[in-house]
Amino acid sequence: MQVNSEPAKREKVSFTGLVLKPMWATLVQVVRNSFRGKPNTVLYPRERLTVPPRYRGKHVLSFTRCIGCGQCVKICPNDCMWMKKINDPDLGKIERPGVDYSRCLFCGLCVEICPTDAILMTGEYELSAYDRKEICFEPEELRADDFPVREPKESTLLPALDFDRCKGKEECAKICPVHCIEIVEIEKTGRKKPEIDLSVCTLCGKCAELCPEKAFEMKEKLIVMFERPLPVFDPAECTGCGACSRACPSDVVYMVEMPGTEKTKPDGRKTKPKKLAVFVLEKCIGCGRCADACKFDCLKMVPESQLRESEKEGVRVE
Amino acid sequence: MDLWGISYELTSFLIDIINFFIYGLGWLLPGVLGDAFNGLGDWLASTGVLNILTMIVEALIVLIVAILNVITLIWIDRKLLARMWDSRGPFYVGPLGYFQNIADGLKLFLKQVITPSKADKLSYHVAPVVFIGSSILILAVIPLSPGFALSYERAPIPGGVLFAFAIFAIAPFSILVAGWAQNNKYTLIGGMRSAAQMMSYEIPLLLSIASVFLLAGSFNFGDVVEAQANIWFAIPLFIGFVVFLVCIVAEIERIPFDLPEAEAELVEGWTTEYSGMRFGFFLMTQYIRGYAGCAIAAALFLGGWHGPSIIPDEIWFLSKAYIVFLIFVWMRASLPRIRTDQILDLGWKRLLPLAMINLIIAVAMKTSGWF
Repeated sequence: MQVNSEPAKREKVSFTGLVLKPMWATLVQVVRNSFRGKPNTVLYPRERLTVPPRYRGKHVLSFTRCIGCGQCVKICPNDCMWMKKINDPDLGKIERPGVDYSRCLFCGLCVEICPTDAILMTGEYELSAYDRKEICFEPEELRADDFPVREPKESTLLPALDFDRCKGKEECAKICPVHCIEIVEIEKTGRKKPEIDLSVCTLCGKCAELCPEKAFEMKEKLIVMFERPLPVFDPAECTGCGACSRACPSDVVYMVEMPGTEKTKPDGRKTKPKKLAVFVLEKCIGCGRCADACKFDCLKMVPESQLRESEKEGVRVE
Repeated sequence: MDLWGISYELTSFLIDIINFFIYGLGWLLPGVLGDAFNGLGDWLASTGVLNILTMIVEALIVLIVAILNVITLIWIDRKLLARMWDSRGPFYVGPLGYFQNIADGLKLFLKQVITPSKADKLSYHVAPVVFIGSSILILAVIPLSPGFALSYERAPIPGGVLFAFAIFAIAPFSILVAGWAQNNKYTLIGGMRSAAQMMSYEIPLLLSIASVFLLAGSFNFGDVVEAQANIWFAIPLFIGFVVFLVCIVAEIERIPFDLPEAEAELVEGWTTEYSGMRFGFFLMTQYIRGYAGCAIAAALFLGGWHGPSIIPDEIWFLSKAYIVFLIFVWMRASLPRIRTDQILDLGWKRLLPLAMINLIIAVAMKTSGWF
């Protein structure tokens, strides 16, 4: 690297520019302020500024909108949120996030990733307290169920499959104008599941109109600006325990019985058949709670783009 | 009625009250003890003791008046700066926030006083005493009017101006000692800068004052002010007045010459390691020096207490001093801090020749018999 040896030419400032002009400017300013102007200072405890509408202050949490997926806790860069188990009289046993404002940096990622617009930020900025514990807010303290969403995320209507109702009649596959529904037979269970190729789907909703069992329903889904990981399922290790189905906050996992796996007990009675997890990935929000719940390592979360690539290569997923 | 008279009356009154009890005890108690009390009363009422006590009362009055002025100056500084910077300044405590300084002082009293473990303990503790004491001593010689001046039996202090500037020159020494004693690089750099700055500005300062001495023919404040009865020295000695103002700003370490405590470079300069009320005293002492500088400028160049006699002399003097201080505040709000090389450059290459020219003008005027 070549070092510029010539010193930069310094502009000569005269006495007038250095001393007289600034002093004249101050004089003009003080005269103008004294007779016309008003000080810029806001007398804070007496007057308050109205904060801009997108100000990021204290959170509010809608218990009814929140589904307890815990993505806000996972994405928090300062690790200042946690999920608290609550026994709510109306909502039953739920998990809701709390925020520790002694560590929060108000980045708003938790609001950004929330799939249901349940956690939002208000213009509340008076968070000081005498003790650190007082600014550690439990979910109950953040609760505001009907808080209006200032900036709702964009949403789409997706055909959401209720697999318990589906009887595999293949009507939807026939009616679909772009042929994006493919009927897949699930091994060992004898049931058929319509799979939608969302890259082709025009979201016309004809399948939902047609379905005689009302298994398809057009549901609103918010578009989150983060890459969504999806669960990849290895059925070889699955014991059918159903932990993933219980952990899923958005009804993605269905436990389907496998006929023919009943065992006969010594006294002649038959046990219940083994179950297999079936994933309806259109509804998945990518929170990864199923993978955390699985004790047998048959689930892992893979980002959506990688998943598509592996699908192209012919690796069977699900 | 002058200061000596007021103090004398006050002291005599107090001693009369004390002597009432002492003579009462002497009357009540029998024998040698009673005689001793009577003797104590006589000793208290004697002229010498009375004069010494009068001087103490006088000094207290001068100090209290000066401190009140200093508090007002700090308030003016904060309030006017706020106006210039488009904010409000203090306004909670007292009318227009006038008592905010007292509240700040009380807060500083409650703060812990920390001595750094690696500091040179003796000089760390002695340096503030020298700094504050020498600064308060300047106030002793500043007269607000012919009557309101510290004096012994109405005889003014001879060579008051010289005394004031001699005392002014002690401060760099204590600042250097304080900067060294705290054992911190910032304080040491601050102390060095302070010493360099004050030494380079002493000479033009004293040269500009020398021209005043020449014209007035005296070292006394009273005589210097009386010599300006017809014309203020700021008019014939305008160059000297400007040089004096610049030098006195450098001397009291205000922006734009606050190099020794440049917040952006040296944390708080040479006062970094001092905490609590010691720091508060430093802050107040700087304003005491500012008040002294303004008062000396008013006395030497702006005609002191001369003015239409509708307003009392003291008010004339103080208003002139305040106007000088307003110029300092104005400078503080407008001008950026100058660099170390620039400050020496300005002191030695610009102000010193200007002061010499001013002195030559004064000599010319004196020899041509105008003064």
